[in-house]
Amino acid sequence: MQEIIIGIGVTALAGALAAVAGAAEDTESNIGSQGDPNSQVQLAPQMGYTHRIYNKAVSGEPPAYTLWVTLACGVAWAFLMMGMNAILAIVLGTVLATIVQGVYATTAYLGRTASLSKFGQPVFTDVLKSVTTVTMGHAFVAIFTTVVICYLLATVIGHPFSLPLLGIVWGLALGAAGSATGNPYYGKERQYQNQKFGAGVPISASGNIVRYAEAGQRSSIDNGFFTAKFGGPASGLCFGLIVFFELWRTVLFEHYLAGWGAVIAGAVIIIIFMVIDRYVEKWARENYGPYTEA
Amino acid sequence: MSAIAAKAGADAGAFQPVPSIIALVLAIIVIAVGFVLGVGQTLCLIVLGAALIAFGVHFVPVGGAPAAMGQAPGIATGVPMLAAGAGLAGLFGGAWAAELGLAVALAGGAIGGALMMAITCLMVNMSYVFGMGIPPASGKIEKDPLTGYSQPEFKSQGTEGHGLPFISYVGGVIGGLLGGLGGTLIYIELLEFYEAAGLDFAVGLAGILAVAMFLVIAVLAAYNITGTIEGPHDPKFKRFPRAIIAALLASALCGILALLLVLLV
Repeated sequence: MQEIIIGIGVTALAGALAAVAGAAEDTESNIGSQGDPNSQVQLAPQMGYTHRIYNKAVSGEPPAYTLWVTLACGVAWAFLMMGMNAILAIVLGTVLATIVQGVYATTAYLGRTASLSKFGQPVFTDVLKSVTTVTMGHAFVAIFTTVVICYLLATVIGHPFSLPLLGIVWGLALGAAGSATGNPYYGKERQYQNQKFGAGVPISASGNIVRYAEAGQRSSIDNGFFTAKFGGPASGLCFGLIVFFELWRTVLFEHYLAGWGAVIAGAVIIIIFMVIDRYVEKWARENYGPYTEA
Repeated sequence: MSAIAAKAGADAGAFQPVPSIIALVLAIIVIAVGFVLGVGQTLCLIVLGAALIAFGVHFVPVGGAPAAMGQAPGIATGVPMLAAGAGLAGLFGGAWAAELGLAVALAGGAIGGALMMAITCLMVNMSYVFGMGIPPASGKIEKDPLTGYSQPEFKSQGTEGHGLPFISYVGGVIGGLLGGLGGTLIYIELLEFYEAAGLDFAVGLAGILAVAMFLVIAVLAAYNITGTIEGPHDPKFKRFPRAIIAALLASALCGILALLLVLLV
């Protein structure tokens, strides 16, 4: 019984940490402009629209976060093996991974932006100095919370995978959840704020991203401020629900029916989510109506 | 997509008998070598797991960069990364349940992958509908075969659709299910083999090699898809036999190397 109660506590804590991780991951990737919407940041100068948006598509978000979280987990694990205090080990691992993230962000911004010089796109050193550290701050939060989740799974829950291997699994899942949920909100809703609300961006408008703010040119930090109101929390909710339900169904129901309880609970949760999705689609069609007459 | 582009895409994904037969023959040779070396049965199950992953990736609705601008339906990220995210979440669940027996572990892995996709796909639609005021619409079909909803009038002007119509949502869940199942099967087979060989670090080695093989197969399948796919109703879905054949060969090679690692230890 005590084992189950501790398991439920860890499940709740891991779910909450995952929600923070997802929100920080999406905000970091939007401020740094990483992931699929960055194709437009790269495209804009080629279409004649030079800008001051950060441009650091190191790679897709899932492999990038796999690297950073696994690196932090690996370093933390090495320190733990040396007998270091767990919190200190995780913080040191995260600091190292964040420095690597900063190096990647700097080289990616300089390299990608310099490659656009023939289209008249300057490299802004003040953008580099002001935005890189902001992305590093958000990356620290995302990496730290994910490493803590992995640590809880490896030590308290007793998952057979070692800490670095858990880092690969949950780093990739973090990037996948964050990019899947958060990318459209940054790509469509923020970069193309000049397009009609409630419709996709016409393909002919590609590259014509919004480059000006209320005063002066738009900063990437403002993009994070904007997406933190919906895309970030939605990504956090997505990753939080994934971690929470994955643990919850196992911790509570694995003891029933020789392990099949967790499988059945998972199947029931999936069906509930399918019903909710069906309702969301129906609601959207009824309330938004068709764009044109059929 | 214009009719011309659609035709060109269909040709690009056509089944090519000669390379396929060559790949199959090579895969059979590698598996035969496996039987000679006494690891044939394990290798066959690893290859089966890889085939499940390759098939499953084709179900996952991935829209890539166009989806991030609401220009195409699907999830706004890359094919192999999303499939791997779901598959590894499944592998996490399967590995956790490994001590409860093969059937429970496989089912746990499959459900873990499906659960990850069910939540992700729901949040994608939530983001489109409640964050951007855009209803889901497919660009490849007139009517959703599951709900019967007509699609073209809900597609905004100048786009190929957006969001995840219900058929794409179900495709995502099936993709996660198959990915989690295949990944867990590979992990369990490697784990049992390494444990039988008496390796101290069997769990770690089996886990990292299962992750690696998952990525190999997911990337191969992504090459077959070439960019974006809406799910099981997309014409590109019919290309899956080619990816399965490629996965058979790649997994046979990777699998035999993974099994022969014990000789080095």
